[in-house]
Parts: sequence; C-alpha cells; structure tokens
Amino acid sequence: MTLRRVLVANRGEIALRVIRACREMGISPVAVYSDADAGAPHVAAADVAVRIGPAPPRESYLNAQAILDAARTTGAEAIHPGYGFLSERPSFARACEAAGITFIGPPASAIERMGSKIGARTLMQQAGVPVVPGITPGDQNDAALISAALDIGFPILLKPSAGGGGIGMKVVRDETSLPGAIATARREAEAAFGDGTLYVERLVDRPRHVEIQVFADRHGHCVHLCERECSAQRRHQKVIEESPSTVLTPAVRARMGAAAVAAAKAVGYVNAGTVEFLLEGHGDEARFYFLEMNTRLQVEHPVTEMVTGIDLVRTQLDVAAGAPLPFTQHDVSQRGHAIECRIYAEDPARGFLPQAGPLLLYREPTGPGIRIDSGVVEGRDIPVHYDPMIAKLIVSGETREAARLRALAALRRYPVLGVRTNIPFVMALLEHPAFIAGDIDTGFLDRQFEDFRERLAQPPSAVAWAAAAGARDSGGTLNPGAAGNLSATSAAPAEPFVTLGAWRVS
Amino acid sequence: MTTWQLTLGSETRLATVDDHGHVTIADEAWHVRPGPTPGTWLVDAGETQCLVAVATRGTTRWVAVDGHVSVFEVDSPRPGRARAVRDDAMMAPMPATVATLSVAVGDAVAVGDVLLVLEAMKMELPVRAARAGTIRAVHCRQGEMVQPGVPLVEIG
Repeated sequence: MTLRRVLVANRGEIALRVIRACREMGISPVAVYSDADAGAPHVAAADVAVRIGPAPPRESYLNAQAILDAARTTGAEAIHPGYGFLSERPSFARACEAAGITFIGPPASAIERMGSKIGARTLMQQAGVPVVPGITPGDQNDAALISAALDIGFPILLKPSAGGGGIGMKVVRDETSLPGAIATARREAEAAFGDGTLYVERLVDRPRHVEIQVFADRHGHCVHLCERECSAQRRHQKVIEESPSTVLTPAVRARMGAAAVAAAKAVGYVNAGTVEFLLEGHGDEARFYFLEMNTRLQVEHPVTEMVTGIDLVRTQLDVAAGAPLPFTQHDVSQRGHAIECRIYAEDPARGFLPQAGPLLLYREPTGPGIRIDSGVVEGRDIPVHYDPMIAKLIVSGETREAARLRALAALRRYPVLGVRTNIPFVMALLEHPAFIAGDIDTGFLDRQFEDFRERLAQPPSAVAWAAAAGARDSGGTLNPGAAGNLSATSAAPAEPFVTLGAWRVS
Repeated sequence: MTTWQLTLGSETRLATVDDHGHVTIADEAWHVRPGPTPGTWLVDAGETQCLVAVATRGTTRWVAVDGHVSVFEVDSPRPGRARAVRDDAMMAPMPATVATLSVAVGDAVAVGDVLLVLEAMKMELPVRAARAGTIRAVHCRQGEMVQPGVPLVEIG
C-alpha cells in the first residue's frame, strides 16, 4: 500500500513534524484545527485544513467523529494521531479501523493492554520483563507481611491494597521498624478505605527514568533504538531528555533493550512505542523495572533521531503502509550525544504558571547540531486551551559536554518575548553541577526547587536597562497600534530641554 | 534627547536617550544600535557588544539578554517632577565636557537652535533651545567639565 494522503489529528509542533515528513515522502498532508488555531502554522503547512470544532479540546482535537469525518471528506487513507489527544485511545484506533482508515500506531488491542496498569504488570511478569517487586500476601498477619518484606528486600513501601493517591503509604527502611509501620499502615488503610489489606512493594529509591524506543512492523520484526534518559522532571513533567543515558552500561542497555522488545512483543505491538523503566544503582549491577509503555510517538523522539540517524516519523508512515522495518537491530547504534530541552510558555518565577498571550518576538537559534521543533510563529497568540509546550530545542554534539554547551549557547540566542517561558529555568538546570555530573534522579528538580528559585531571582544585567531605554520603536517590535505613548514620544525629534525634566529638579 | 522612567518590579531608574541611541543611566553610558534583524539591538558597553531582543506593547517593554527576559514599564518621568522644570535654564543631562559653545549673551535664538555641544563617553550631545528668546547668561566655557543639574545657558 502506498499512502497518498494522511490526516494529522493534532496541533502545534508535532502536527508540523508529521506534516513535514509527509511532504518529504510525497504524501499530501491534511490538517485539522479548532477555532483557536485558525491560521496556525500547522494549518498553513497542510494541503487541506478542516475545521473540527471550537477551541476546547473535548469539542475539537478529542472529537473523534469530527476527525473521522474530516478524513473521509478529504480522502485521507490514514490518520497520524501525534501524541496526547486521541493517540492512546483504543476506541479511536478501533473507529479508524471500522471506517477503513489506517491508524498510524499500534493495534487497538495493544493500546488497551498497555493502558491497564494491573493488566500490563501481569503481562510483563509473564513476558519476563522486570517489574517493581510487590505482593499482596494472602495471609495478612504480621508474620506473613514481615516475611513478604524480607523476600522483597528493603527499603519497602507498604500500601493499602484498596487505595490510591498515596494515602496510607509507608516507607520502611529496615526490619526493626516494620512491625510498627504495619500496624499504622493497616489502621490507616482501614480508616481510609474500610479495608486493611496491605500491599508490600520494593521502594525504588531515587530512581532514574530511562526509556527504550521500540519499533515493530507487521512482519514480525521488532527492534529497539536504544534509550533516552528523562530523569530531569518537574512534578512528573519532563524538562530535559537525552541520549545516551549517563549511567547505562552497554550490558544494562542490552538487557533493557531486550526487555523492551519482549514487552512490545507480548502485546503484539506494531509501529513506534516507548517502554519506560525505573533504573536504580550504577554500573552493570544497575537494576531496572517496567514502569509503563507509551503506545505512540513521544515528545522526545528527536533525541533518538539525532543519535541513531533514524527518522522515526517517516518510519512510522512506512510501517503503517505495510513496509518492513528498513533496519535490523544490528544496524542501530548511538552516535554522539543529543539533548532535548522542552520550551514551555510558563513563568518559573510564579510557580510555573502557564502563560498565554501574543508572541511579540520569537526568534529561533540556528547553527550546526541545532534543531528546533516548534509550532508557533512570531505575532500569533499562544492560546490558553492547550499544552503550554511551544517548542523543543534539540542539540547534538560529539560528547555530552559538547551538546550541553551547545544547548546553553542556543538558549542564550533564543529570544521569546510577550509571554514568559521556562528558558531561564532550563539554562539553570543545564548549568547545575548535578546535571553536569549526570547525577540526577526523578525527584531532583522537586527537591532542589528552592535552589532554582534563588538562581532565577538574579537581577537583570545593566545591559537590559540600557536596551529598555535605547531600543527605539522602529520596525520589528510589532503591535503598531498598541505602542501608545512610547512610540509617539520617542518618534518625535530630540528635544533635550523639553524632556530633560528630571535632570533639572535641583 | 528624551528621558524615560524605567520600572522593573520595585526598582525605578531614569534614562536619557538621544536620537542616535546614546543612553545614560546614572553615570553609565551605553550605545544602543539597531541589530541585524528587526527587534534586535546591539548594546555597546565599553569594548564589548551584546546582542539583545526588544519588543514593546503599550508601555511594557520586553528585553531578552542572553536568555534572560526582563519586562520593564517605560514611561515619561512623573509629571510632578517634570513640572518643576524651568525651560529657561539649559542643563547637562550627565557629566560632560563642553565641546563647542555656539552662543554668547545677547544672541537671539529660536526653538531648536543648537546652543552648545556636550561630549560624554565619546558621544556628542547637542543642547538645543527649548524656547525662543535672547541669551541672558552663559555659565560655561568651551572645554569645561559640567555636571548635571547646573544651568549652562539661560534664555531671557
């Protein structure tokens, strides 16, 4: 099968990313858009664009029926869901199938099986993929619980079996404090859930988040494309991703890669997916545990593209059209180092509050080893309705340090004005000794938050004051109508004695 | 020459700017030139230059310097201060040297006539008549170092 027309059921940078791949392959791209995105870059980039509803995602980008209708009316043979929105809804994959449209992603059954946390855990155990050791002892007396804890090994986590949301969870680091903790946890579980049954789980202390990119075709091939480390997270939101990981040894990489492939095969996976692991420890003795599988293209996929040289989106389109994978496991290797920085419209100085508003000025850095995947343009508004991620800066270099310095230099030449962004925060992270040392776990950013607050509170340089005074309102500052008294006054000829007032108060 | 009141958070500074982009804030002088693309500027400070980006919306001015963004409020100095000004006494906006003196007592001047030229930080600043009249007094000599706030020339 050859794809002639593909509908991209997404917006922003990922829609543009997929549209570009379509163009390179001679496939006609179709965009869909909400009222908030009329005239947006992804709309302008497509051959055809279909309005699918009002701004709220529920009425537009999550409106499966409107998207399927758009595919039908435009003659699209396939739909690429991007990430987020409908990408991990088995019902949507199934609806595509029913409508005779190719869903560019895994079969609905694979999405479903990985979507159930408990079901996926059981499946992974059966497939020999390591999961965080845990058990709900059938006998709930103290002796049985203590025996379960000793089997699993300390530190452990006691959780109410019926619970969730962290209520009643107890960290226990040694055997002596176990009986007391069991009594407390049981009491709290009974109080909160009316059920004192306890689940004993191995506590993964200061874990790293390392994930494996996998790719499978419909001909029984499944390979992994090495890892991405995403330990730099703020409240579970990834900020920086990189490949290779600073801690993965070749032996652990091979084991983790094999586990990821086994995970994908266990659910009959097809197309691109990511198996996420928690990693603890160092060296060849490092242990990893299955966390979950993301059954779609990831935000951070460019990191893998930069180090493996494989275009993941083009491969997705090829595989969806029925082609076998164009590479084998033997062909895949990492070259150099890549780092991705997510650029969010949010204010680090005010609790990372998402920002919306006009992009008065937006200039992307360019240069060797610099890639920007963005979905915004200067002069347009950042809408309030969607994810505040506006762009991704991806850099590559021969070494991690070269890539880190390249990312910093690029961010210094990446002015975004009109809305606040997390660029200063990302720069502070890239300059943090722990990041430089590659010594970051998933809790690092939240633990070090005060440290970052101080780093961000630096007063602006004298140059900023001078620029604020000296930049005249000549072209490029946009908003000609809104300039008000500023441009009116400074456009007037120099009148020193009229305007020197403040100097003459003596 | 224009004076702006810049406010950033709780901090306020006064800046004078001529129409060539020469900026003075307190005792520091800068030269702000247009950069290679609209909205970008080169700020000269001594021997180095710094590429910055600036965007204006209403009275709000966004400035990006090396990845750090500051959002200034830019206004004319508060009216209460400006009104205290007499427009018959011409003064220097900053410590400067009188480069040339073009008028003498008794000369008739029109609005905008150059009375003298000051030099500061290798920049020339023409001092123009704020109103028409006759020169009543000259309080400086060519080559003299003058201070801000001291009358240089009075127009009668």
